[in-house]
Formats: sequence, C-alpha cells, structure tokens
Amino acid sequence: MDMQFAQLFDRVEPADNAAPIEFSQWVGTWINSNPDTTGIARLVISEVDGNFFLEVQAVGPDGPIAWGKTPIKTLAANPASRKGAGFTCSYDFGFVTTRLQGMIVKGLIVLGQFHTFKDDSGRAGFFVREYFGIQHGRY
Amino acid sequence: MERVAFKQNSHLEPALTDPATRTLNVEGLLGTWKNTNTKTTGISEIVIAREGSRFLISLVGVGSDGPIHWPRTEGTVFANLEEEAGQKAVAIAANFDLGFMTADTHLRVNKGVLVIVLIVTFQDDSGRSDYVNREFFYKHHVE
Repeated sequence: MDMQFAQLFDRVEPADNAAPIEFSQWVGTWINSNPDTTGIARLVISEVDGNFFLEVQAVGPDGPIAWGKTPIKTLAANPASRKGAGFTCSYDFGFVTTRLQGMIVKGLIVLGQFHTFKDDSGRAGFFVREYFGIQHGRY
Repeated sequence: MERVAFKQNSHLEPALTDPATRTLNVEGLLGTWKNTNTKTTGISEIVIAREGSRFLISLVGVGSDGPIHWPRTEGTVFANLEEEAGQKAVAIAANFDLGFMTADTHLRVNKGVLVIVLIVTFQDDSGRSDYVNREFFYKHHVE
C-alpha cells in the first residue's frame, strides 16, 4: 500500500472513494443541556444540495444573538468511515473569531469553542465546551 | 469591564482581562504524557514543553516499524472557562502540517487525564475521510 501516514490509525483502505460523509442524520435543532449557559443556546444544522450549514443562537445580555448561517466541514470518526461524527466551522465577527469543533458522542454534540479576540480590549482568548441534545419532538 | 463588542455573554466574562487567566495552572499540562490505551494505533506519546512564553507540542504516532515523530509545533494557549473537577486550567491548541495531512488538535486536562482531540484533514488524493478522534493520556512521572 503506497499511502503516507503518521500513525497506523490512518493506514486504511477507504470504504468508497466517491461517497461523501453521511451527515443528514444530524440535521435539526440542538439545544444546550445547560439552561444557564452564557455561551451558545442553540445550534441548527441544515442541508442544502448535499452541503451542510450551521446557525448559532447565542445568549446575550438583552436576549438571544443570532450568529447567522455558516458552512460546516463534516467529519467521520475514522479515515475509513463515511458516517458523520463531527464538524468544524468558524465565524469571523471582526473583533473576535470563533472556531467551533463539534464531536458527536453518544447522541450529543460536544461543542468545543475557541474564541480569539482581535480588538484592543485585552481579553484573553478562551476555550469552552458545551453539550447539545437534539430537539426531537417525541415523548 | 467597559462595554466592549460581544456575541455572547461569555465575551463579557471579567476573568478574561485578568492576566492570570492566560496561564492558569498551565504547569499541569507540561511534561510527557503516555496514552492510556497500550494498544492504540494513533498517538502514543505527547510532550508539552514551555520555552519562555512559548508552548511547544510534540506528538509521537504509532508506526508499523516504530514510533513516528511528528514535527514539533508551537501551541496557542486558551483560557479555559470550564470548571474541571474544581480546578480551572488553560487549554492548548496546536496545528500540525505533515504535507499529506494536517491535524488541528486541542489539549486539556480533565481530572488529571490529558485529553487530545484531533481533527485530521487529508491533503492527498487517497480518498480517506477527514475525521475527528479523541485519545486519553496519563502523566509519565520520571523517578
């Protein structure tokens, strides 16, 4: 096998070269498990023509703050898989960039957030994780 | 804090302007870490070193003929607003570029265990899926 790798985990035969990562099962509205969050309250994942997007609703001092819709890069759980297991995306608000890294664990999205301030406010960049469950409408 | 730009309440957290927040308990991340899974086919060892204000991250991958040393890279420290087992500590993000692939990683300590999350993106045409993976490490204490 003539394939470069930096860990054995990556030395695999791809399942199907032509197939995209299956991510449709994660489309929907996801709610933060922490009702007292000071970060992100809600995630909405949508699909248009096989492309996936994220909309974030954050918690602000005067009510929700919509971050808008941004494309996401979908991720599998390993290099041979085509099943969606995570995503990444970023928002650039001018004064801050926020990178989001979502990992789906036991049906929850574990969302890592990296906030890097670009203004002169002196704020340290910070990291936080939050947990989201899908709003399924059952029960 | 004066009213500054924000997109969520956390952006107004007073601790973010406290210089101590930037390096809080960073010593806890420094050192050599071994994978808790002795049969891993991924990362076997992580070394986090501090040189002045810089944090340097070394990863060792499990290879077919022995360890594979990834190019050492500088990490970026992020204040961590989470409370992990009653103790806050910074997290470190580091990006590795190996040509045929890149790995965006972040590392943090949770209850004494170092957790690395890797997001691997293949730059070659091998057809492999980009993926996210997580592994756990314990501190290697030298006698």
